[in-house]
Amino acid sequence: MNLTTFYLAVAGLILAPLVGGLVAGVDRVLTARMQSRMGPPLLQPFYDVGKLWSKVIAPASHWQGLFVRWALVASLASDVLLAAGADVLMCFFVQAASASFVALGAFCGSSPYSKLGAQRELFQLLAYEPVFLVAILCMAKVSGGFDAYSFMASDQPLLYKMPLIVPGLLFVVLVKLRKSPFDISGSHHMHQEVVRGVYTDYAGRDFALLEIAHWADVTVVLWICSFLWATSPLAMVVTAFLFLFAALVIDNISARLTWRHMLKVVAPISLVLATANLLWLYME
Amino acid sequence: MSFLKTSQIKSPWLMHFDCGSCNGCDIETLACLTPVYDVERFGIINVGNPRHADVLVVTGTVNPRNAEILKNIYSQMPDPKLVIAVGACGCSGGVFRDAPNVLGGIDKVIPVDVYVPGCPAKPEAIMDAVVTGLGKLKGILEAS
Amino acid sequence: MLDAYIGVLVLWPLVAGLACLVLKSPGVRSALVLSTGAALAVGALGVASQVPMTANPGFLSSQTALYIAEGAAFALPIYFLIRGLMEKHVLVIVFAIAQLGLAAMSVFGLAAPAAAKSAVYCDGLSLALVLVVSLVGSLICIFALPYMKHHEEHLHLKVTRQPGFFLILLAFLGFMNGLALSNDLRVFAAFYEATTLCSFLLIGHDKTEESKKSAFRALWMNCMGGVFLHGGIVLIQKQFGMADIHELMNPTLWAGASMLPIALLALAGCVKAAQMPFQSWLLGAMVAPTPVSALLHSSTMVKVGVFVCLRLGPVLESTTTGRVLALVGAFTFFATSALALGQSNAKKILAYSTIANLGLIIACAGIGTPIALAAGVVLLAIHAVTKGLLFLCVGDMEQTVGSRDLEDLRGLISKSPVTALAASAGAMAMILPPLGMLVGKWAALEAAAASPIAMVLIALGSALGVVCWVRFAGTLMSGQSIEAKTTHTSALTSTPILAMLAGAVGLGMAAPWFNALLLPASNIATALAGGWGLLPGLFIVAMLAWIIGMKVLGRQSAATLATPYIGGLPSVLKGTYVGPLGRNWTLTEGNEYASEIFGESKLTKFAGALAGALLLALVGGAII
Repeated sequence: MNLTTFYLAVAGLILAPLVGGLVAGVDRVLTARMQSRMGPPLLQPFYDVGKLWSKVIAPASHWQGLFVRWALVASLASDVLLAAGADVLMCFFVQAASASFVALGAFCGSSPYSKLGAQRELFQLLAYEPVFLVAILCMAKVSGGFDAYSFMASDQPLLYKMPLIVPGLLFVVLVKLRKSPFDISGSHHMHQEVVRGVYTDYAGRDFALLEIAHWADVTVVLWICSFLWATSPLAMVVTAFLFLFAALVIDNISARLTWRHMLKVVAPISLVLATANLLWLYME
Repeated sequence: MSFLKTSQIKSPWLMHFDCGSCNGCDIETLACLTPVYDVERFGIINVGNPRHADVLVVTGTVNPRNAEILKNIYSQMPDPKLVIAVGACGCSGGVFRDAPNVLGGIDKVIPVDVYVPGCPAKPEAIMDAVVTGLGKLKGILEAS
Repeated sequence: MLDAYIGVLVLWPLVAGLACLVLKSPGVRSALVLSTGAALAVGALGVASQVPMTANPGFLSSQTALYIAEGAAFALPIYFLIRGLMEKHVLVIVFAIAQLGLAAMSVFGLAAPAAAKSAVYCDGLSLALVLVVSLVGSLICIFALPYMKHHEEHLHLKVTRQPGFFLILLAFLGFMNGLALSNDLRVFAAFYEATTLCSFLLIGHDKTEESKKSAFRALWMNCMGGVFLHGGIVLIQKQFGMADIHELMNPTLWAGASMLPIALLALAGCVKAAQMPFQSWLLGAMVAPTPVSALLHSSTMVKVGVFVCLRLGPVLESTTTGRVLALVGAFTFFATSALALGQSNAKKILAYSTIANLGLIIACAGIGTPIALAAGVVLLAIHAVTKGLLFLCVGDMEQTVGSRDLEDLRGLISKSPVTALAASAGAMAMILPPLGMLVGKWAALEAAAASPIAMVLIALGSALGVVCWVRFAGTLMSGQSIEAKTTHTSALTSTPILAMLAGAVGLGMAAPWFNALLLPASNIATALAGGWGLLPGLFIVAMLAWIIGMKVLGRQSAATLATPYIGGLPSVLKGTYVGPLGRNWTLTEGNEYASEIFGESKLTKFAGALAGALLLALVGGAII
């Protein structure tokens, strides 16, 4: 590991959650504008986390604090991996570990809603993970390596060779951002699915840390999406923003689906599309 | 004021509990969330779980059955917390105060910070109550 | 010295087992089993210190040994035939006769093959199997001591049947070691048949109707596997006139030759490894006492199957047969992971997940590149420890709770914390980075670059596995169960569990270095640069997370817990809420198993047919 990689990793560690927080702020302002409201200040997510941090409350389980911190470490580690240009597949697995910890902590809780949320969280994981993996495999096939640098190295946008991946990635973004119609295990803010499902038992400081972990996750997901048009940093930011914007539009015009529908219809369709794209890359 | 203290005032998450109201005040409370009033301007979010809530908005009268639940929900909220009693019934029991199964206003069971009169209370008044409550919280935080 | 180690590995368990049979006292039996464990550990470590090596110990290389091996090729099928005739089990009879025919053809019909240059050849793969058998297998045998005592008390047996049971259990370990080390195809086949015999006897140990049925199912399927194996061996004998396994696994030898023998051997491996559509024998094996299923699933028997396939790996690299085999393994990985998700029976979850992971290893074998094979060996070793741990935990839970249904094990952490935590840790070791199982999966995914369908199947199976194991651990750790008394676990039970836990986590963490040992020198640099080099960094992160987590746990475990949120209703007693009439109503919870998607009735037939078609393609492709 050389010094540049080290600096990049440190930058990833610090900036990624901040960027995720800003994305959450932009998300809330944009959503409000789409509904012809004013919306909160841009920094509202940071205030929320600050508030949660200063709350005093008894934990719902002895184990949740542990799992929250593990989730946070895993999420930040996946950001650092991406920033340091490491293997994207491993970064994905580390990120998935974070999601597993969140679900495990919810299982440990005492409220039935928490466990309901945990089950649904797992089904969501099941629905988006394969699609996401196949998308990364496609990117690796086109760019000839599994590390983030080779994803960014190609002269031509990867999108040209993998248009069928876009619906799959959009699905992943919707699930990870907890946006309608896939906000099944716990919704983003005001729309609560069964009193906020997987988050029910997390409160106070634990919840604040979990929110930061969520920001880090969002950054990873949008970052990986932005590899689709990685010809310049600006292009990557624009691509990520387009994914975010599309997710917000869909969030505002659609109603929530059931997990059965997600697992039986949406996930297979997006997976088939992604697989078709992968096969087509092999036939070239 | 430090960032943490500021953020406690800028992000009141609100839980709404109908303690046996005629639904008039509830409709007015939920009207606050609409684009016309847009309480999210103040960072207010409607949550459904006391463990996430900072402000408890209660409508309606208290009776022996729901008093337990009200107390339970209040105790499950993290500190520091605010309670707002909305409407005539919530403030005092309203026209039902002499009914045999009614204990009276919310303050018979849990401490109330802000009272919102009206039958039903107006959305503007409810929003004003939240802001007043936050001002009270700010005073407490500044003193500490 | 080397010969002595090998002698200990193969012969000691047999001798100790016979001693168990003769000296019936339980105290002596415990001493014998414990000493076998120690002896095997010493032997395995002794061999490990000298790998890669060849040797010619007298009991494996002499002419007598070859005669015994050839004799076993007749004796064992004859025994199976007799059992089949007694039971009028057509399939057993048919396959036993076919085996006899092939054995006769090999001995009388064809010229005897050139003897192997050395009777024992031990490389990283053999060593991994020897270590797994000797360490994990021994721990399971030790676990069996208190378990079988309890088991027989439960069955109210008048005369104990433990001496015979431990004979087979220990002999099994010896046969497995012999199989891993032998370099002569004929000796290998004899050990292979011996493991079939052992598993047949162990599954049928309880002598109930159900166990008899399962035992015969295992027997006919493995006899069929034996037919494939012998078929492959006869063809090799005809084609090359050789019996030296190490020399046969040279890709240049097979250039232009028919791949049929390889396909048949791989098929035999698939049967032994219970790959779809042959998974039913391994599922049936769960009727046996827990140590047996632990032994069959984690360290012996099924590992023979993947061992065979991994052995074939170098020949399979970038051949059609290899690509189809990779598809077979990946498909089983996917289908059985889905089946595992739909189960609430904890042992069935373990069984399906075992089959799934074996499928992944077979996929690695089919890909056949050095990196994939190394990943396969890493998976083999780590899976054995992790799955051994999980089986022992479930066995212990079953005896504590009296049920093996995941729903009854809900919130076990308050009842039997050591076992529940060990099981949760084991479940996590199956899926979390940077531990070995996930790393193996990752390496397999990156190595599978040549076959996109296999990659997609592995991706799907991996997601299914994550869901299955998180739910498993989450259910055990679930809060808000009834107030329970903590039960005491005997030292002979908890020691193997804790030792396995240490092994699972330790080996899982050692995976990258272990992997580097297995790779040829030319590959190490690229493999480390390509990704394995990341892992040390991730370990530091994991350690950091561990320390932070433990600190918080220490702080939070003293905290008074909040009352549960049940829609605002108060809860006075644990596991209840105060509802209508002011009464305490019990709160019941259950997992969603989504059996309408992942149920056995939905998937088994369809997936079995598809897997069968793939296996046909494996053999058919080789013929054409």
